[in-house]
Amino acid sequence: MSSRDFVYSKFAEFYNNPSTVLPTPINFEHREFAYLMFKERFMVRHKRFESMLIFQNVLAKNVPSDVYHSCAYYDQPDLEMDKKGWTGSDLVFDIDADHIPTACGKIHDEWTCQKCEFNGRGITPEECPICGGDRFSVKTWLCDLCIESTRVETAKLIDMLTKDFGFAANELHVFFSGHRGYHVHVENEAVHSLDALSRKEIVDYVMGLGLSVLDKDVKQKTVKGSKHSTATKKFKLHNYGWNQRLKKGMITLLSNATAEDLKNLGLKNNNLFKNKDTILSRAIEEGRWDSIPGVSVATWRKLAEQVKNLESANIDTVVTTDIHRLIRMNGTLHGKTGLLKMEFPAHQLDDFDPMTQAVAFKKGTAKVLISNTPEFRLGGATWGPYKNVKVVVPTAVAIMLILKGRAEVVN
Amino acid sequence: MANNRNSPTIQHTSFTKNHLAIYPFLKETAQYLAPLDLQIEELTSPGMQQILDRAIERVTTAITDLTIRPLNGKQGKYIIKDPQKEIISFPVALMLVSAIDNSIIKKRYALAEAKQATRELFFESNDLILKIASDFEWNITLTPFDSIFEFVLYFSDFLQNASHLHDAKWKLVNSKLSEGKIYLNKYDIARLLQEEIKQRIEKRLNNVSIGKYPPEISTIAEKLKTLATDHIKHTDTDFPKIVIQEAFPPCINALYDAASKNHHLSHIGRFALTAFLVNIGMSAETVTELFKSFSDYNERLTQYQVEHIAGGRGSGTKYTCPQCSILQTHNVCKNRDELCKRVYHPLKYYKIKSETTIQNQPENINGKNNQKQLTTNQLKH
Repeated sequence: MSSRDFVYSKFAEFYNNPSTVLPTPINFEHREFAYLMFKERFMVRHKRFESMLIFQNVLAKNVPSDVYHSCAYYDQPDLEMDKKGWTGSDLVFDIDADHIPTACGKIHDEWTCQKCEFNGRGITPEECPICGGDRFSVKTWLCDLCIESTRVETAKLIDMLTKDFGFAANELHVFFSGHRGYHVHVENEAVHSLDALSRKEIVDYVMGLGLSVLDKDVKQKTVKGSKHSTATKKFKLHNYGWNQRLKKGMITLLSNATAEDLKNLGLKNNNLFKNKDTILSRAIEEGRWDSIPGVSVATWRKLAEQVKNLESANIDTVVTTDIHRLIRMNGTLHGKTGLLKMEFPAHQLDDFDPMTQAVAFKKGTAKVLISNTPEFRLGGATWGPYKNVKVVVPTAVAIMLILKGRAEVVN
Repeated sequence: MANNRNSPTIQHTSFTKNHLAIYPFLKETAQYLAPLDLQIEELTSPGMQQILDRAIERVTTAITDLTIRPLNGKQGKYIIKDPQKEIISFPVALMLVSAIDNSIIKKRYALAEAKQATRELFFESNDLILKIASDFEWNITLTPFDSIFEFVLYFSDFLQNASHLHDAKWKLVNSKLSEGKIYLNKYDIARLLQEEIKQRIEKRLNNVSIGKYPPEISTIAEKLKTLATDHIKHTDTDFPKIVIQEAFPPCINALYDAASKNHHLSHIGRFALTAFLVNIGMSAETVTELFKSFSDYNERLTQYQVEHIAGGRGSGTKYTCPQCSILQTHNVCKNRDELCKRVYHPLKYYKIKSETTIQNQPENINGKNNQKQLTTNQLKH
């Protein structure tokens, strides 16, 4: 049996198992469904189903590698795009290690230039250092540090959605994506009808993009008749939204950072560290930003910029602004890992362990030849590192390694 | 209609007649007008002359200086002498504008009505502003504590309108947002309502469907159209007849460079480049040819995508290039220069820069000896 056949048979078992019960997305009948055929590698799209039971039978029969539904609601989800009749869409956020710098530096990812076959590890370069080509085949991996980095971003996002946007806990649905990140879906009547431009504003908010206080060009008009008609705008922050976040972030940063830490962030003005108590009480607390000796508007702006970088949530901008987006369906398998996309309560973000709780295949073992992997955790145990060895491992481990291109089944 | 004209039955009124005259786009105006059963054929009857004249005046001043009526100075509380005439003249004006059947004039009329309303709103009480906002089903209340930000608006109602405004102060990221509510002053609310009012009127103008207009009305419409041609500057659709690459904005240049070097473009990058080229006047075939000359693009797919963007497929909609703020969100905005700071759309940048380029370098027009101009025959259109 080939490795792909092996994984296919396990995916087939999963979708045919009567104990697999897929949660029904709300507004089921108004969504478009889609799935990627495991063997044929083509996407079946624009499907509508009468019930989850019928859809699950289709999945059991066809055995897809990945299953999606639209975030959008349509009058007729099974017609072609222009004729579907868009009536609204969930507000969704995707946080994926692919899009953010991670603590591991993605040192476990392997890339190969498609032109000259030069290969390396870590973040895929923009151009091949040897031939200048810019197309690579990449074998990604997922480690605890990748997932931790996305968890931190997700926590910041949830904090904004709750405190700034005022969404209730039951309106936020938080999922492990099944690969290297998290999805957050907001189900709230008021956001359904938001157009792409309005969603873009929400993206900019979450990313801290376009904050006026950081804009170097902003000038303010001075009293008429004075020598210059404009002057550099004074630095000040109000008590709402991002302005408030900047203040809180400044307090956290200045209270905890050493002089060295600040320097490393590019904040070289010593007065920020030396006068930090005065800054905390007089500037941040009382709003007297111009009363700190040796700290100019430019320095405040630099500090605010760094705090913005620390406090903003790094999301995939395209997913949130796309009002027709297909998103992986809750409870289905991820074709790159064999793990589940899985919902958990937002308040359990710190405790939810995807590498244990999102494991779908809990029974059986398989013998595989593993080419190369770092040490990793899966299903409550630690595995590897492996290099060119034949090992008997649990099914979930074998599937992950095969799908990641790191192992083959030994017959 | 004639029987009822002087005594319309008004039910469930909460606005005064004077308010309906100043803000005739309110839903309640429709209730006021319903019993009159206004018909297009009646517009030219002698009894309607005054109303028709006022409607013509509405459209005229809207075209010439984006106003509907003079403001009653700073005292506010404009008292309209003949509110009934003023109210009825609004739907009649809508009919006239529909008869002109020109999207730029429709937009300008809607904008003029909306701007007028905003100017009036500045002088209104907070309670009346709340009532008008409720007409648009806004989730809005007065701030429970004493503040210069008297209003609290739910963020989704804010976004639907503020996202169309370009000043940085309207960005959500700069707003006073807390627990879903945004704290705003009266002037902010009036400005946001302007967007809402404009959209409602535009929608109404686009929904008016009258098969045939009486000849008198068509003559009036023709006159108004001529007036508009004289007053409204031709906008972004007028691009130079040849493609001037040195007038491309930096973002488009970066995309063009990347594409010509066979580098991978993001979906939105590819979309922006294609839509930009199609909108400055390149034909879909030329763009496809250009892309083919660059790279190993999947030919069939490229052609499909380009034709789709150019409006030759599917819904037939010609897509426009995304505005600057969208390109910023998706990290497609690159190497911003001084001109970028003054515009909010890559096409506007091209328009301004291509005009100055043509003025400064007349040889561009002839396309002679200019390295930077796209000189191959395939790029001329």
